[in-house]
Amino acid sequence: MTEQEKYLVKNNMQDVVTTVNINATFREALQKMVDGRTNGVVVVDDEKYVKGILSSMDLIQYVVPDYLEEDKHLASFEAAEEFSVRIKEVADEPITKFMTKEVHTIKESHTLMEAATMLSEFKIRQIPVVDAEEKLVGYINRTDIKKAIARVLGIH
Amino acid sequence: MGIFFWITLVVFITTYAIIISEKIHRTVIAMAGAGLMVLLGIVTQEKAIEGIDFNTLGLLIGMMIIVGIAKHSGMFQYVAIWATKVGKGNPVKIYILLLTIVAVFSALLDNVTTVLLMIPVTFVVAHNLKIHPKPFLIGAILLANIGGTATLIGDPPNILIGSASGLTFNDFLVNLGPISVLVSIVTIALLVFIYRKQLVATAEAQATIAKFNPREALSDVKLLKKALFVLAIVLVGFFTHSVTHLEGATIALGGAALMLLLTMHDPEEHLKEVEWTTIFFFMGLFILVVALEEVGAIRMLAEGLLNLTGGNMTATTLSVLWGSAIFSAVIDNIPFVATMIPLVKDLGTIAGLPLAPIWWALALGADIGGNATLVGASANVVVSGIASKEGHGIGFWEYMKMALPLTFVALVMCTVYIFLRYLV
Repeated sequence: MTEQEKYLVKNNMQDVVTTVNINATFREALQKMVDGRTNGVVVVDDEKYVKGILSSMDLIQYVVPDYLEEDKHLASFEAAEEFSVRIKEVADEPITKFMTKEVHTIKESHTLMEAATMLSEFKIRQIPVVDAEEKLVGYINRTDIKKAIARVLGIH
Repeated sequence: MGIFFWITLVVFITTYAIIISEKIHRTVIAMAGAGLMVLLGIVTQEKAIEGIDFNTLGLLIGMMIIVGIAKHSGMFQYVAIWATKVGKGNPVKIYILLLTIVAVFSALLDNVTTVLLMIPVTFVVAHNLKIHPKPFLIGAILLANIGGTATLIGDPPNILIGSASGLTFNDFLVNLGPISVLVSIVTIALLVFIYRKQLVATAEAQATIAKFNPREALSDVKLLKKALFVLAIVLVGFFTHSVTHLEGATIALGGAALMLLLTMHDPEEHLKEVEWTTIFFFMGLFILVVALEEVGAIRMLAEGLLNLTGGNMTATTLSVLWGSAIFSAVIDNIPFVATMIPLVKDLGTIAGLPLAPIWWALALGADIGGNATLVGASANVVVSGIASKEGHGIGFWEYMKMALPLTFVALVMCTVYIFLRYLV
Protein backbone atom coordinates (compact mmCIF):
# COMPACT_ATOMS: atom_id res chain seq x y z
CA MET A 1 0.00 0.00 0.00
CA THR A 2 1.46 3.36 -0.99
CA GLU A 3 1.55 6.23 1.48
CA GLN A 4 -1.28 7.85 -0.45
CA GLU A 5 -3.49 4.76 -0.46
CA LYS A 6 -3.29 4.53 3.35
CA TYR A 7 -5.41 7.61 3.66
CA LEU A 8 -8.17 6.66 1.25
CA VAL A 9 -11.67 5.82 2.46
CA LYS A 10 -11.65 2.34 0.91
CA ASN A 11 -8.75 1.21 3.07
CA ASN A 12 -10.28 2.48 6.31
CA MET A 13 -13.97 1.70 5.93
CA GLN A 14 -16.12 -1.16 7.19
CA ASP A 15 -17.31 -3.28 4.32
CA VAL A 16 -20.03 -5.13 6.18
CA VAL A 17 -23.02 -2.80 6.37
CA THR A 18 -26.40 -3.49 7.90
CA THR A 19 -28.89 -2.38 5.28
CA VAL A 20 -32.62 -2.29 5.11
CA ASN A 21 -34.73 -2.16 1.98
CA ILE A 22 -36.58 1.07 1.16
CA ASN A 23 -39.90 -0.82 1.27
CA ALA A 24 -39.38 -2.01 4.85
CA THR A 25 -41.65 -1.13 7.76
CA PHE A 26 -40.87 0.23 11.23
CA ARG A 27 -40.99 -3.31 12.65
CA GLU A 28 -38.66 -4.76 9.96
CA ALA A 29 -36.11 -1.97 10.36
CA LEU A 30 -36.07 -2.46 14.12
CA GLN A 31 -35.56 -6.21 13.63
CA LYS A 32 -32.51 -5.47 11.42
CA MET A 33 -31.09 -3.15 14.08
CA VAL A 34 -31.58 -5.72 16.84
CA ASP A 35 -30.11 -8.54 14.71
CA GLY A 36 -27.17 -6.43 13.52
CA ARG A 37 -26.56 -5.05 17.05
CA THR A 38 -26.38 -1.57 15.64
CA ASN A 39 -28.12 1.78 16.10
CA GLY A 40 -27.84 2.78 12.47
CA VAL A 41 -28.78 1.12 9.20
CA VAL A 42 -28.42 2.31 5.61
CA VAL A 43 -31.59 2.35 3.53
CA VAL A 44 -31.07 1.03 -0.01
CA ASP A 45 -33.22 0.12 -2.98
CA ASP A 46 -33.05 -3.19 -4.88
CA GLU A 47 -30.03 -1.97 -6.89
CA LYS A 48 -28.07 -1.01 -3.77
CA TYR A 49 -28.41 2.72 -4.35
CA VAL A 50 -28.43 4.64 -1.09
CA LYS A 51 -31.87 6.09 -0.39
CA GLY A 52 -31.55 7.13 3.22
CA ILE A 53 -30.24 6.42 6.64
CA LEU A 54 -32.15 5.26 9.68
CA SER A 55 -30.98 5.50 13.27
CA SER A 56 -32.54 4.27 16.48
CA MET A 57 -33.16 7.95 17.28
CA ASP A 58 -35.35 8.22 14.16
CA LEU A 59 -37.42 5.31 15.48
CA ILE A 60 -37.67 6.85 18.95
CA GLN A 61 -38.65 10.23 17.57
CA TYR A 62 -41.35 8.64 15.47
CA VAL A 63 -42.83 6.91 18.49
CA VAL A 64 -43.19 10.29 20.22
CA PRO A 65 -46.41 11.82 18.87
CA ASP A 66 -46.16 15.30 17.36
CA TYR A 67 -48.41 16.81 20.00
CA LEU A 68 -45.94 15.84 22.74
CA GLU A 69 -42.96 17.03 20.73
CA GLU A 70 -44.62 20.45 20.53
CA ASP A 71 -45.25 20.45 24.27
CA LYS A 72 -42.56 18.45 26.01
CA HIS A 73 -43.87 19.19 29.48
CA LEU A 74 -47.10 17.47 28.66
CA ALA A 75 -45.31 14.13 28.36
CA SER A 76 -45.32 13.79 32.15
CA PHE A 77 -49.12 13.82 32.11
CA GLU A 78 -49.57 11.32 29.30
CA ALA A 79 -51.17 7.98 30.19
CA ALA A 80 -48.54 5.22 30.75
CA GLU A 81 -50.19 2.75 28.35
CA GLU A 82 -49.97 5.28 25.54
CA PHE A 83 -46.36 4.11 24.99
CA SER A 84 -47.41 0.69 23.76
CA VAL A 85 -50.55 1.99 22.04
CA ARG A 86 -48.42 4.36 20.01
CA ILE A 87 -45.80 1.73 19.12
CA LYS A 88 -48.47 -0.65 17.85
CA GLU A 89 -49.91 2.18 15.78
CA VAL A 90 -46.63 2.89 14.01
CA ALA A 91 -45.25 -0.67 13.74
CA ASP A 92 -46.42 -1.23 10.18
CA GLU A 93 -45.70 2.24 8.83
CA PRO A 94 -43.14 2.46 6.00
CA ILE A 95 -39.68 3.70 7.01
CA THR A 96 -39.82 6.30 4.23
CA LYS A 97 -42.01 8.32 6.59
CA PHE A 98 -39.31 8.88 9.19
CA MET A 99 -35.90 7.97 7.77
CA THR A 100 -33.34 10.67 7.00
CA LYS A 101 -33.59 11.15 3.26
CA GLU A 102 -30.86 13.71 2.72
CA VAL A 103 -27.84 11.47 3.08
CA HIS A 104 -24.25 12.55 2.62
CA THR A 105 -22.32 9.76 0.93
CA ILE A 106 -18.64 9.54 0.08
CA LYS A 107 -16.91 7.66 -2.75
CA GLU A 108 -14.52 4.90 -1.70
CA SER A 109 -11.74 6.51 -3.77
CA HIS A 110 -11.93 9.75 -1.78
CA THR A 111 -9.65 10.73 1.08
CA LEU A 112 -9.92 10.37 4.84
CA MET A 113 -9.55 14.13 5.18
CA GLU A 114 -12.74 14.58 3.18
CA ALA A 115 -14.55 11.98 5.29
CA ALA A 116 -13.33 13.68 8.49
CA THR A 117 -14.45 17.06 7.18
CA MET A 118 -17.93 15.73 6.42
CA LEU A 119 -18.27 14.11 9.84
CA SER A 120 -17.27 17.30 11.61
CA GLU A 121 -19.16 19.70 9.36
CA PHE A 122 -22.48 17.87 9.44
CA LYS A 123 -22.05 16.47 12.96
CA ILE A 124 -23.04 13.01 11.77
CA ARG A 125 -21.92 9.63 13.09
CA GLN A 126 -21.36 7.70 9.91
CA ILE A 127 -21.18 8.14 6.16
CA PRO A 128 -22.27 5.46 3.70
CA VAL A 129 -19.48 4.72 1.21
CA VAL A 130 -20.34 4.20 -2.46
CA ASP A 131 -18.43 3.04 -5.53
CA ALA A 132 -18.00 4.91 -8.82
CA GLU A 133 -21.57 3.96 -9.78
CA GLU A 134 -22.99 5.32 -6.51
CA LYS A 135 -23.78 1.84 -5.18
CA LEU A 136 -23.28 1.09 -1.49
CA VAL A 137 -20.04 -0.74 -0.66
CA GLY A 138 -19.46 0.10 3.01
CA TYR A 139 -19.54 2.82 5.60
CA ILE A 140 -17.09 4.86 7.59
CA ASN A 141 -17.81 6.17 11.07
CA ARG A 142 -16.20 8.20 13.85
CA THR A 143 -14.44 5.13 15.26
CA ASP A 144 -12.80 4.40 11.90
CA ILE A 145 -11.44 7.94 11.67
CA LYS A 146 -10.28 7.79 15.30
CA LYS A 147 -8.39 4.57 14.57
CA ALA A 148 -6.77 6.14 11.51
CA ILE A 149 -5.67 9.13 13.60
CA ALA A 150 -4.24 6.74 16.21
CA ARG A 151 -2.28 4.89 13.52
CA VAL A 152 -0.67 8.11 12.35
CA LEU A 153 0.50 8.77 15.89
CA GLY A 154 1.65 5.18 16.37
CA ILE A 155 -0.91 4.55 19.14
CA HIS A 156 -2.15 0.98 19.22
CA MET B 1 -68.81 48.73 -18.27
CA GLY B 2 -65.25 48.87 -19.52
CA ILE B 3 -62.83 46.12 -20.31
CA PHE B 4 -60.96 46.88 -17.08
CA PHE B 5 -64.04 45.98 -15.09
CA TRP B 6 -64.27 42.53 -16.63
CA ILE B 7 -60.53 41.85 -16.42
CA THR B 8 -60.58 42.77 -12.74
CA LEU B 9 -63.54 40.52 -12.10
CA VAL B 10 -61.86 37.61 -13.90
CA VAL B 11 -58.59 38.04 -12.00
CA PHE B 12 -60.42 38.41 -8.68
CA ILE B 13 -62.75 35.44 -9.11
CA THR B 14 -59.98 33.21 -10.48
CA THR B 15 -57.78 34.11 -7.53
CA TYR B 16 -60.52 33.35 -4.99
CA ALA B 17 -61.43 30.12 -6.80
CA ILE B 18 -57.82 28.93 -6.60
CA ILE B 19 -57.69 29.90 -2.91
CA ILE B 20 -60.79 27.77 -2.27
CA SER B 21 -59.51 24.85 -4.36
CA GLU B 22 -56.22 24.85 -2.38
CA LYS B 23 -54.34 23.82 -5.53
CA ILE B 24 -51.77 26.55 -4.88
CA HIS B 25 -50.86 27.92 -1.45
CA ARG B 26 -53.31 30.71 -0.64
CA THR B 27 -50.52 33.17 0.13
CA VAL B 28 -48.78 32.61 -3.19
CA ILE B 29 -51.95 32.95 -5.23
CA ALA B 30 -53.12 36.05 -3.30
CA MET B 31 -49.75 37.71 -3.91
CA ALA B 32 -49.79 36.72 -7.58
CA GLY B 33 -53.34 38.03 -8.04
CA ALA B 34 -52.47 41.28 -6.29
CA GLY B 35 -49.33 41.67 -8.37
CA LEU B 36 -51.35 41.16 -11.53
CA MET B 37 -53.83 43.90 -10.51
CA VAL B 38 -50.93 46.33 -10.09
CA LEU B 39 -49.10 45.28 -13.26
CA LEU B 40 -52.30 45.54 -15.32
CA GLY B 41 -52.66 49.09 -14.08
CA ILE B 42 -56.02 48.43 -12.41
CA VAL B 43 -54.58 49.58 -9.12
CA THR B 44 -51.80 52.16 -9.05
CA GLN B 45 -48.81 51.35 -6.87
CA GLU B 46 -49.73 54.18 -4.52
CA LYS B 47 -53.30 52.89 -4.16
CA ALA B 48 -52.00 49.38 -3.56
CA ILE B 49 -49.79 50.49 -0.68
CA GLU B 50 -52.61 52.64 0.69
CA GLY B 51 -54.96 49.69 0.52
CA ILE B 52 -52.82 47.52 2.77
CA ASP B 53 -54.12 47.95 6.30
CA PHE B 54 -50.87 48.11 8.24
CA ASN B 55 -52.81 48.46 11.48
CA THR B 56 -54.24 44.96 11.02
CA LEU B 57 -50.83 43.57 10.05
CA GLY B 58 -49.09 45.22 13.01
CA LEU B 59 -51.69 43.93 15.43
CA LEU B 60 -51.37 40.40 14.06
CA ILE B 61 -47.57 40.44 14.09
CA GLY B 62 -47.38 41.93 17.58
CA MET B 63 -49.76 39.36 19.06
CA MET B 64 -47.93 36.52 17.27
CA ILE B 65 -44.62 37.60 18.82
CA ILE B 66 -46.09 38.00 22.32
CA VAL B 67 -47.91 34.66 22.30
CA GLY B 68 -44.98 32.93 20.60
CA ILE B 69 -42.77 33.81 23.56
CA ALA B 70 -45.45 33.45 26.26
CA LYS B 71 -46.38 29.91 25.25
CA HIS B 72 -42.90 28.67 26.17
CA SER B 73 -43.68 29.39 29.81
CA GLY B 74 -46.29 26.61 29.81
CA MET B 75 -48.94 28.97 31.22
CA PHE B 76 -51.67 27.87 28.85
CA GLN B 77 -50.99 24.18 29.46
CA TYR B 78 -50.91 24.87 33.20
CA VAL B 79 -54.43 26.28 33.12
CA ALA B 80 -55.71 23.32 31.11
CA ILE B 81 -54.14 20.70 33.38
CA TRP B 82 -55.35 22.63 36.40
CA ALA B 83 -58.91 22.51 35.02
CA THR B 84 -58.62 18.78 34.55
CA LYS B 85 -57.63 18.42 38.19
CA VAL B 86 -60.43 20.70 39.35
CA GLY B 87 -62.80 18.47 37.38
CA LYS B 88 -61.78 15.67 39.77
CA GLY B 89 -61.55 13.12 36.99
CA ASN B 90 -65.24 13.55 36.15
CA PRO B 91 -65.29 13.44 32.34
CA VAL B 92 -68.34 15.68 31.95
CA LYS B 93 -66.92 18.34 34.28
CA ILE B 94 -63.51 18.13 32.58
CA TYR B 95 -65.14 18.39 29.16
CA ILE B 96 -67.08 21.50 30.16
CA LEU B 97 -64.04 23.12 31.79
CA LEU B 98 -61.70 22.42 28.88
CA LEU B 99 -64.14 23.75 26.29
CA THR B 100 -64.73 26.83 28.43
CA ILE B 101 -60.99 27.42 28.58
CA VAL B 102 -60.76 27.04 24.80
CA ALA B 103 -63.45 29.72 24.43
CA VAL B 104 -61.76 32.11 26.89
CA PHE B 105 -58.27 31.66 25.41
CA SER B 106 -59.71 32.05 21.96
CA ALA B 107 -61.19 35.42 22.90
CA LEU B 108 -57.71 36.63 23.86
CA LEU B 109 -55.57 34.75 21.35
CA ASP B 110 -55.87 33.89 17.71
CA ASN B 111 -58.11 30.82 17.17
CA VAL B 112 -55.38 28.80 15.49
CA THR B 113 -52.93 29.53 18.30
CA THR B 114 -55.58 28.48 20.80
CA VAL B 115 -56.21 25.09 19.24
CA LEU B 116 -52.49 24.49 18.71
CA LEU B 117 -52.02 25.00 22.45
CA MET B 118 -55.09 23.12 23.60
CA ILE B 119 -55.27 20.07 21.31
CA PRO B 120 -52.13 18.41 22.79
CA VAL B 121 -53.62 18.79 26.28
CA THR B 122 -56.95 17.35 25.21
CA PHE B 123 -55.19 14.32 23.69
CA VAL B 124 -53.39 13.68 26.96
CA VAL B 125 -56.55 14.13 29.02
CA ALA B 126 -58.63 11.90 26.74
CA HIS B 127 -55.96 9.17 26.84
CA ASN B 128 -55.87 9.29 30.63
CA LEU B 129 -59.66 9.12 30.83
CA LYS B 130 -59.66 6.31 28.23
CA ILE B 131 -62.14 8.32 26.20
CA HIS B 132 -62.03 8.75 22.44
CA PRO B 133 -60.48 12.19 21.73
CA LYS B 134 -63.01 13.05 19.01
CA PRO B 135 -65.62 14.78 21.22
CA PHE B 136 -62.79 16.96 22.55
CA LEU B 137 -61.46 17.75 19.07
CA ILE B 138 -64.83 18.71 17.61
CA GLY B 139 -65.74 20.66 20.73
CA ALA B 140 -62.44 22.55 20.62
CA ILE B 141 -63.02 23.64 17.00
CA LEU B 142 -66.52 24.90 17.74
CA LEU B 143 -65.62 26.76 20.93
CA ALA B 144 -62.45 28.26 19.45
CA ASN B 145 -64.51 29.95 16.75
CA ILE B 146 -67.33 30.97 19.10
CA GLY B 147 -64.96 32.31 21.78
CA GLY B 148 -62.95 34.18 19.17
CA THR B 149 -66.06 36.17 18.29
CA ALA B 150 -66.11 37.94 21.65
CA THR B 151 -63.26 40.41 21.22
CA LEU B 152 -61.51 42.58 18.65
CA ILE B 153 -58.36 40.44 18.88
CA GLY B 154 -60.11 37.06 19.07
CA ASP B 155 -60.41 36.30 15.38
CA PRO B 156 -58.72 37.85 12.30
CA PRO B 157 -62.07 38.95 10.77
CA ASN B 158 -62.71 40.97 13.94
CA ILE B 159 -59.29 42.60 13.68
CA LEU B 160 -60.10 43.55 10.08
CA ILE B 161 -63.50 44.93 11.03
CA GLY B 162 -62.16 46.78 14.07
CA SER B 163 -59.43 48.43 12.09
CA ALA B 164 -61.70 49.47 9.22
CA SER B 165 -64.72 50.59 11.25
CA GLY B 166 -63.00 52.40 14.07
CA LEU B 167 -65.00 50.37 16.59
CA THR B 168 -62.98 49.91 19.78
CA PHE B 169 -61.94 46.85 21.78
CA ASN B 170 -64.60 47.68 24.36
CA ASP B 171 -67.25 48.11 21.65
CA PHE B 172 -66.53 44.56 20.54
CA LEU B 173 -66.56 43.23 24.09
CA VAL B 174 -69.84 44.92 25.01
CA ASN B 175 -71.64 44.08 21.77
CA LEU B 176 -70.26 40.66 20.83
CA GLY B 177 -69.22 39.42 24.29
CA PRO B 178 -72.72 38.66 25.62
CA ILE B 179 -73.87 36.70 22.57
CA SER B 180 -70.56 34.85 22.43
CA VAL B 181 -71.04 33.76 26.05
CA LEU B 182 -74.64 32.69 25.41
CA VAL B 183 -73.77 30.70 22.30
CA SER B 184 -70.84 29.07 24.15
CA ILE B 185 -73.10 27.94 27.00
CA VAL B 186 -75.74 26.51 24.69
CA THR B 187 -73.18 24.81 22.43
CA ILE B 188 -71.34 23.18 25.33
CA ALA B 189 -74.64 22.02 26.83
CA LEU B 190 -75.70 20.46 23.53
CA LEU B 191 -72.27 18.82 23.06
CA VAL B 192 -72.43 17.29 26.54
CA PHE B 193 -75.89 15.97 25.75
CA ILE B 194 -74.81 14.56 22.38
CA TYR B 195 -71.68 12.88 23.76
CA ARG B 196 -73.14 11.88 27.14
CA LYS B 197 -72.61 8.17 26.47
CA GLN B 198 -68.94 8.63 25.58
CA LEU B 199 -68.08 10.92 28.47
CA VAL B 200 -67.67 8.19 31.10
CA ALA B 201 -64.48 7.02 32.76
CA THR B 202 -63.40 4.21 35.07
CA ALA B 203 -62.50 4.86 38.70
CA GLU B 204 -58.90 3.94 37.88
CA ALA B 205 -58.70 6.56 35.14
CA GLN B 206 -60.19 9.15 37.47
CA ALA B 207 -57.58 8.31 40.10
CA THR B 208 -54.76 8.93 37.59
CA ILE B 209 -56.13 12.38 36.81
CA ALA B 210 -56.44 13.17 40.51
CA LYS B 211 -52.67 12.71 40.81
CA PHE B 212 -51.93 15.39 38.19
CA ASN B 213 -49.67 18.14 39.42
CA PRO B 214 -50.37 21.19 37.23
CA ARG B 215 -47.09 22.85 38.28
CA GLU B 216 -45.22 20.25 36.23
CA ALA B 217 -46.71 21.87 33.14
CA LEU B 218 -44.93 25.14 33.91
CA SER B 219 -41.64 25.08 32.11
CA ASP B 220 -40.32 28.53 32.99
CA VAL B 221 -41.70 30.41 35.99
CA LYS B 222 -39.54 33.50 35.39
CA LEU B 223 -40.82 33.75 31.85
CA LEU B 224 -44.35 33.17 33.12
CA LYS B 225 -44.19 36.28 35.31
CA LYS B 226 -42.82 38.41 32.49
CA ALA B 227 -45.41 37.06 30.06
CA LEU B 228 -48.30 37.72 32.45
CA PHE B 229 -46.98 41.24 33.01
CA VAL B 230 -46.81 41.98 29.28
CA LEU B 231 -50.19 40.38 28.58
CA ALA B 232 -51.73 42.46 31.36
CA ILE B 233 -50.27 45.67 29.92
CA VAL B 234 -51.47 44.78 26.43
CA LEU B 235 -54.98 44.07 27.71
CA VAL B 236 -55.07 47.35 29.63
CA GLY B 237 -53.90 48.99 26.40
CA PHE B 238 -56.85 47.48 24.54
CA PHE B 239 -59.37 48.30 27.26
CA THR B 240 -58.30 51.95 27.25
CA HIS B 241 -57.59 52.53 23.57
CA SER B 242 -60.84 54.42 23.05
CA VAL B 243 -59.42 57.00 25.48
CA THR B 244 -55.73 56.87 24.58
CA HIS B 245 -56.40 56.65 20.83
CA LEU B 246 -53.59 54.15 20.51
CA GLU B 247 -54.19 51.87 17.53
CA GLY B 248 -54.23 48.08 17.91
CA ALA B 249 -50.92 47.78 16.07
CA THR B 250 -49.26 50.24 18.42
CA ILE B 251 -50.43 48.32 21.48
CA ALA B 252 -49.53 44.88 20.16
CA LEU B 253 -46.17 45.84 18.67
CA GLY B 254 -45.36 47.84 21.80
CA GLY B 255 -46.17 44.76 23.86
CA ALA B 256 -44.00 42.65 21.57
CA ALA B 257 -41.08 45.05 21.99
CA LEU B 258 -41.53 45.02 25.77
CA MET B 259 -41.65 41.22 25.77
CA LEU B 260 -38.43 41.00 23.76
CA LEU B 261 -36.78 43.57 26.04
CA LEU B 262 -37.79 41.76 29.22
CA THR B 263 -36.73 38.30 28.05
CA MET B 264 -33.68 39.46 26.07
CA HIS B 265 -34.31 36.50 23.77
CA ASP B 266 -32.70 36.41 20.37
CA PRO B 267 -35.22 38.38 18.26
CA GLU B 268 -34.26 36.51 15.12
CA GLU B 269 -35.70 33.26 16.46
CA HIS B 270 -38.98 34.85 17.56
CA LEU B 271 -39.48 36.92 14.45
CA LYS B 272 -39.07 33.75 12.43
CA GLU B 273 -41.98 32.25 14.40
CA VAL B 274 -44.33 34.97 13.14
CA GLU B 275 -46.63 33.38 10.58
CA TRP B 276 -45.38 35.42 7.69
CA THR B 277 -47.41 33.38 5.22
CA THR B 278 -50.57 34.71 6.90
CA ILE B 279 -49.28 38.28 6.88
CA PHE B 280 -48.45 38.15 3.17
CA PHE B 281 -51.82 36.52 2.48
CA PHE B 282 -53.49 39.56 4.07
CA MET B 283 -51.37 41.96 1.98
CA GLY B 284 -52.39 40.20 -1.21
CA LEU B 285 -56.05 40.23 -0.21
CA PHE B 286 -56.05 43.92 0.63
CA ILE B 287 -54.75 44.78 -2.83
CA LEU B 288 -57.19 42.43 -4.56
CA VAL B 289 -60.07 44.10 -2.75
CA VAL B 290 -58.80 47.57 -3.59
CA ALA B 291 -58.90 46.57 -7.26
CA LEU B 292 -62.50 45.51 -6.92
CA GLU B 293 -63.30 48.84 -5.28
CA GLU B 294 -61.44 50.82 -7.93
CA VAL B 295 -63.50 49.44 -10.81
CA GLY B 296 -66.75 49.96 -8.90
CA ALA B 297 -67.63 46.31 -8.43
CA ILE B 298 -68.02 46.58 -4.65
CA ARG B 299 -70.38 49.50 -5.03
CA MET B 300 -72.48 47.51 -7.48
CA LEU B 301 -72.66 44.63 -5.03
CA ALA B 302 -73.72 47.02 -2.27
CA GLU B 303 -76.42 48.50 -4.50
CA GLY B 304 -77.54 45.01 -5.42
CA LEU B 305 -77.88 44.06 -1.78
CA LEU B 306 -79.83 47.24 -1.04
CA ASN B 307 -82.17 46.59 -3.99
CA LEU B 308 -82.79 43.12 -2.64
CA THR B 309 -83.59 44.34 0.85
CA GLY B 310 -85.28 47.55 -0.25
CA GLY B 311 -82.84 49.47 1.95
CA ASN B 312 -84.66 48.10 4.99
CA MET B 313 -82.35 48.04 8.01
CA THR B 314 -83.64 44.76 9.48
CA ALA B 315 -83.57 42.92 6.16
CA THR B 316 -80.11 44.26 5.30
CA THR B 317 -78.57 43.41 8.68
CA LEU B 318 -80.00 39.90 8.80
CA SER B 319 -79.01 39.26 5.16
CA VAL B 320 -75.45 40.22 6.07
CA LEU B 321 -75.55 37.86 9.08
CA TRP B 322 -76.85 34.82 7.21
CA GLY B 323 -75.05 35.60 3.96
CA SER B 324 -71.76 35.89 5.83
CA ALA B 325 -72.43 32.65 7.66
CA ILE B 326 -73.15 30.72 4.48
CA PHE B 327 -70.14 32.16 2.63
CA SER B 328 -67.83 31.58 5.59
CA ALA B 329 -68.91 27.98 5.88
CA VAL B 330 -67.62 27.38 2.38
CA ILE B 331 -64.71 29.80 1.97
CA ASP B 332 -62.11 31.06 4.41
CA ASN B 333 -63.71 33.89 6.37
CA ILE B 334 -60.67 36.18 6.07
CA PRO B 335 -60.92 36.85 2.30
CA PHE B 336 -64.69 37.04 2.66
CA VAL B 337 -64.60 39.70 5.36
CA ALA B 338 -61.85 41.63 3.56
CA THR B 339 -64.23 41.92 0.58
CA MET B 340 -67.28 42.73 2.70
CA ILE B 341 -65.66 45.65 4.56
CA PRO B 342 -65.77 48.19 1.70
CA LEU B 343 -69.20 46.84 0.80
CA VAL B 344 -70.55 47.58 4.28
CA LYS B 345 -69.00 51.05 4.14
CA ASP B 346 -70.81 51.61 0.84
CA LEU B 347 -74.10 50.57 2.46
CA GLY B 348 -73.54 53.49 4.82
CA THR B 349 -72.76 56.03 2.12
CA ILE B 350 -75.47 54.94 -0.33
CA ALA B 351 -78.42 54.30 1.98
CA GLY B 352 -77.29 56.12 5.11
CA LEU B 353 -77.91 53.06 7.27
CA PRO B 354 -76.39 53.01 10.78
CA LEU B 355 -73.40 50.74 10.36
CA ALA B 356 -72.67 49.34 13.84
CA PRO B 357 -75.34 46.60 13.78
CA ILE B 358 -74.21 45.56 10.30
CA TRP B 359 -70.59 45.28 11.47
CA TRP B 360 -71.73 43.02 14.35
CA ALA B 361 -73.80 40.94 11.94
CA LEU B 362 -70.78 40.57 9.66
CA ALA B 363 -68.49 39.54 12.53
CA LEU B 364 -70.99 37.05 14.00
CA GLY B 365 -71.85 35.53 10.64
CA ALA B 366 -68.24 35.18 9.51
CA ASP B 367 -66.84 33.91 12.83
CA ILE B 368 -69.61 31.50 13.73
CA GLY B 369 -70.50 30.47 10.18
CA GLY B 370 -66.95 29.12 9.90
CA ASN B 371 -67.99 26.37 12.30
CA ALA B 372 -70.39 24.71 9.88
CA THR B 373 -67.84 22.76 7.84
CA LEU B 374 -64.37 21.34 8.33
CA VAL B 375 -62.94 23.91 5.89
CA GLY B 376 -64.88 26.92 7.18
CA ALA B 377 -62.12 28.37 9.34
CA SER B 378 -58.37 27.97 9.80
CA ALA B 379 -58.76 26.42 13.27
CA ASN B 380 -60.93 23.64 11.81
CA VAL B 381 -58.32 22.79 9.20
CA VAL B 382 -55.51 22.79 11.78
CA VAL B 383 -57.34 20.50 14.22
CA SER B 384 -58.34 18.10 11.47
CA GLY B 385 -54.68 18.01 10.35
CA ILE B 386 -53.40 17.16 13.83
CA ALA B 387 -56.17 14.62 14.34
CA SER B 388 -55.42 12.65 11.20
CA LYS B 389 -51.70 12.62 12.06
CA GLU B 390 -52.60 10.91 15.34
CA GLY B 391 -54.89 8.45 13.61
CA HIS B 392 -58.17 10.08 14.70
CA GLY B 393 -58.99 11.77 11.39
CA ILE B 394 -62.30 13.65 11.33
CA GLY B 395 -64.34 13.02 8.19
CA PHE B 396 -65.82 15.97 6.28
CA TRP B 397 -69.39 14.68 6.59
CA GLU B 398 -68.88 13.27 10.05
CA TYR B 399 -67.91 16.76 11.20
CA MET B 400 -70.70 18.47 9.33
CA LYS B 401 -73.37 16.16 10.72
CA MET B 402 -72.39 17.36 14.19
CA ALA B 403 -71.43 20.97 13.47
CA LEU B 404 -74.08 22.11 11.01
CA PRO B 405 -77.05 21.78 13.40
CA LEU B 406 -75.06 23.38 16.23
CA THR B 407 -74.03 26.25 13.94
CA PHE B 408 -77.62 26.69 12.89
CA VAL B 409 -78.75 26.94 16.52
CA ALA B 410 -75.97 29.47 17.18
CA LEU B 411 -77.00 31.60 14.19
CA VAL B 412 -80.64 31.57 15.23
CA MET B 413 -79.50 32.84 18.63
CA CYS B 414 -77.44 35.56 16.90
CA THR B 415 -80.47 36.54 14.81
CA VAL B 416 -82.67 36.95 17.88
CA TYR B 417 -79.89 38.82 19.70
CA ILE B 418 -79.27 41.27 16.87
CA PHE B 419 -82.96 41.77 16.28
CA LEU B 420 -83.81 42.46 19.92
CA ARG B 421 -80.76 44.57 20.65
CA TYR B 422 -80.38 46.67 17.50
CA LEU B 423 -83.42 46.41 15.27
CA VAL B 424 -86.54 46.96 17.41
